[in-house]
Amino acid sequence: MNRDQGGGVPRFNRRSLIWLLGGGLGYPAVTHLLGPESAQAAAPSGTLLVGMQLLMKSIDPGRTIEASAYMINHAIYDSLVTFDGEDLKTPKPQLATGWKASPDGKTYTFTLRPNVRFSSGNPMTSADVKWSLDRVINLKANTKFLIEGIEEVLAPDPLTVVVRLSESKPSIIPILSSPSLCVVDSKVVMENGGEAGPDAKDKDRAEPYLSAHSAGTGAYTLGSYIPNQELTLVKNPAHWRGAPKFDRIVIRHIPEPATQQLQIARGDLDVATGIGPDQAQVLRTAPGVTVKTSLIANTFYVLMNNNPQIGGPFANPRVQQAVRYALDYAGIMAIAGSGAQRLASIIPNSFPGSLDPRTAVTTDREKAKALLREAGVGEVRGRITYPAGATSWGVQVDLLVQKIQTDLNAVGMTVDLNGLASLTALQEYRDGKNQIGVWGWTADWPDPSNFLVYLPGRTVGKRAGWPADAGPEAAALAKLGDQAEREVDTPKRTALYERVARRIAEIGPYAPLFQPAVPYAIRSNVRGATYNSVWEVDLYPLAKSG
Amino acid sequence: MSLWRYLGRRVLLLAPMLVGITLLTFLLSHAVPADPVTAYLGPQASGDPQVIAAFRHRWGLDRPLPEQYGIYLWNLARGDMGVSISTRQPVMVDLKQHLPATIELATAAMLVSLLVSIPLGMLSAVRRDTMLDQLARIGSLIGVSTPIFWLGIVAIVLFYAYLGWAPSPGRLSMEIPPPPPVTGFVVVDAVLARRLDVAADALRHLALPALVLSSYSVGVVTRMMRGSMLEVLGEEYVRTARAKGLATWAVVVRHAARNSLIPVVTVIGLSFGGLLSGAVVTETVFAWPGLGSYAFHSATALDFPAIMGVGLVVATIYILVNLVVDIAYAFVDPRIRVG
Repeated sequence: MNRDQGGGVPRFNRRSLIWLLGGGLGYPAVTHLLGPESAQAAAPSGTLLVGMQLLMKSIDPGRTIEASAYMINHAIYDSLVTFDGEDLKTPKPQLATGWKASPDGKTYTFTLRPNVRFSSGNPMTSADVKWSLDRVINLKANTKFLIEGIEEVLAPDPLTVVVRLSESKPSIIPILSSPSLCVVDSKVVMENGGEAGPDAKDKDRAEPYLSAHSAGTGAYTLGSYIPNQELTLVKNPAHWRGAPKFDRIVIRHIPEPATQQLQIARGDLDVATGIGPDQAQVLRTAPGVTVKTSLIANTFYVLMNNNPQIGGPFANPRVQQAVRYALDYAGIMAIAGSGAQRLASIIPNSFPGSLDPRTAVTTDREKAKALLREAGVGEVRGRITYPAGATSWGVQVDLLVQKIQTDLNAVGMTVDLNGLASLTALQEYRDGKNQIGVWGWTADWPDPSNFLVYLPGRTVGKRAGWPADAGPEAAALAKLGDQAEREVDTPKRTALYERVARRIAEIGPYAPLFQPAVPYAIRSNVRGATYNSVWEVDLYPLAKSG
Repeated sequence: MSLWRYLGRRVLLLAPMLVGITLLTFLLSHAVPADPVTAYLGPQASGDPQVIAAFRHRWGLDRPLPEQYGIYLWNLARGDMGVSISTRQPVMVDLKQHLPATIELATAAMLVSLLVSIPLGMLSAVRRDTMLDQLARIGSLIGVSTPIFWLGIVAIVLFYAYLGWAPSPGRLSMEIPPPPPVTGFVVVDAVLARRLDVAADALRHLALPALVLSSYSVGVVTRMMRGSMLEVLGEEYVRTARAKGLATWAVVVRHAARNSLIPVVTVIGLSFGGLLSGAVVTETVFAWPGLGSYAFHSATALDFPAIMGVGLVVATIYILVNLVVDIAYAFVDPRIRVG
């Protein structure tokens, strides 16, 4: 290209310089002038503004088990059973008005609530319940573990549903409260690619539809959803419990906790669920903001690999016991934050079968040193793997791990830190390759049965190199766990879970630490807020005054 | 060579470059020592072989790697970038929902940067070693050396939380329903929907993150402009122009400024790349739903189709910016010929 003539080339002259200068200074000035108007705009009282870490892979109930998706789906859909607020001990009827178990505990008969309609206007019947559960059974997706043991779902008449199990499993009642097992409008979902038959795994195409529309009986319907950005809910005026209080709920993904803190302090958010302990502390003194903490159905623990090839000296039961005595629990509880509770074993204190925290192991460094001498394994050296930089339920994992390292060093063990990227650390943990690890287990459904994963041969047990045939003690414990899982009689069941918990605390390759509590903030004029670790904030009872 | 032939050649070169980029991204993302199964299936499901098999089959992860790559390329050639595992939407839709936010932010930041740094650099050179020059030097130093994450938080605390000048973080006030998406640029879409109030709200939200994001490039471009300008001002033709009796400003603007822009254009091109990568951090602090946050989620979730999509888009942007810079040279300095 030859541009020797220079024709058409923009030239700078004095006027353009002044214009440029004016622009450079004027831009911030203009934004300054434009600013205040918006900052003071208050949310209309018919709209609820929620800030959270809105990260979820799917909102198709059959394909999601994430807490944020559960929060949304708990507002859009209803299940047969539910829990009220933060009480995770007592299952309450929702779309079922009641249920009856057969004496052998293998058959449950549910009576459905009459005159319930989906947001489409279709009546909700037992056919919808059957279709919804069949879909989850046949999708073979990440929700499959929830319906494990269900042999068949029957709909003998429009208001009766029968669930037949292969073995007695009383935990089926709390499991059926899961938003993954909610009741969807089978007619509408089928029209939009839904499939519940045996080949649903390959034929179901309803996920895109369910990401843009809702098909439930819930208090709200899905208005719009842009993944990782924003989701809106719209009032379902025909909801069977009565219409909810808000016309619209706007839920925005706000990744940075500090940003959420500032927004709720200025009144630009009504609810903020993504704040950490630091933000909570500041917000406690902020006018117009109420900070609450909720105990989470999760257990933090130290894993010591029981497989000598991986665990090395930490596979020795006496070393494992020494670790339990070496930890400074008072210091660890300070890191866990306000509201957290010490755990005596691996069943959260909020469930039946948990042990009294006062019976938990207390710090005794001399005893730890004596145990190490008794173990006679020479130098005790190990590596602790954890997700570096991660914050789990408000707990800074790095801090916790450093504390554990210091405590173990104090009794003569040498522990190196092995902080990895979250996914890599998780992978090593799931492959059973952590020598020592610091992890937590969160309830997928509110029941102690969910914590049997710590048993030898079950999910966490296997990761800790603790198979069911590890020895006569492990085999007996595994059997006791099976017995607890099947027991129908409530007092007997609770006693069995207590025995399981005590035994795991004694011989398990774990050091149970604490049950965390998460802080969340609401504007003081918002009423009815509760938080539980399964579906976080229950949106239906929320209301706003003023 | 004519400009058009030159452009044609560069565009043709784009295709093999992009294929190379897909291969590199594919290999890198599969070299991570973690399995998507870990990222997507919960702790219970990831122990169930039936569920793992169904998951791998659904996302094509059960095929050998070369075949997976081949299928990707074949689909890409037909304009299909696949479906994101972490949003369950076509990657194309995800990009349409995230890219405009970043372009909006980066362009606004670039605009701020040009409007501030070029005049400021010129003034600093002309008024060398005066108070203004010293202030500009300190300002540039702060801009270049302040971590953008920290600056973002401080700006929000100061201008939003305390002074109340800036609106809440995000692209729009939460209570305002977004305009129907046509271009994806909220400001443009609001104007198209004849909602000037919404457009004004969007502009207000854009201001603070754009200012924060521009801080680095303002610093760099100002210093570059000043240095380049000083060099040119010492040239003989400038002395000649002065000797002819031309007014100082005519000399500065007409003769010196344009010539000193040549190295600056390069820096501007490079700093646009910096704006895109800086956007990752700015977007997190300002809850700005752009490509940066999308890239971050996809990478941490091992969402292969999304990672590939982001890689392609970012590479294309870099290549295009470089192309624009090359062409801009010719406009700024007629002696330079493209080709």
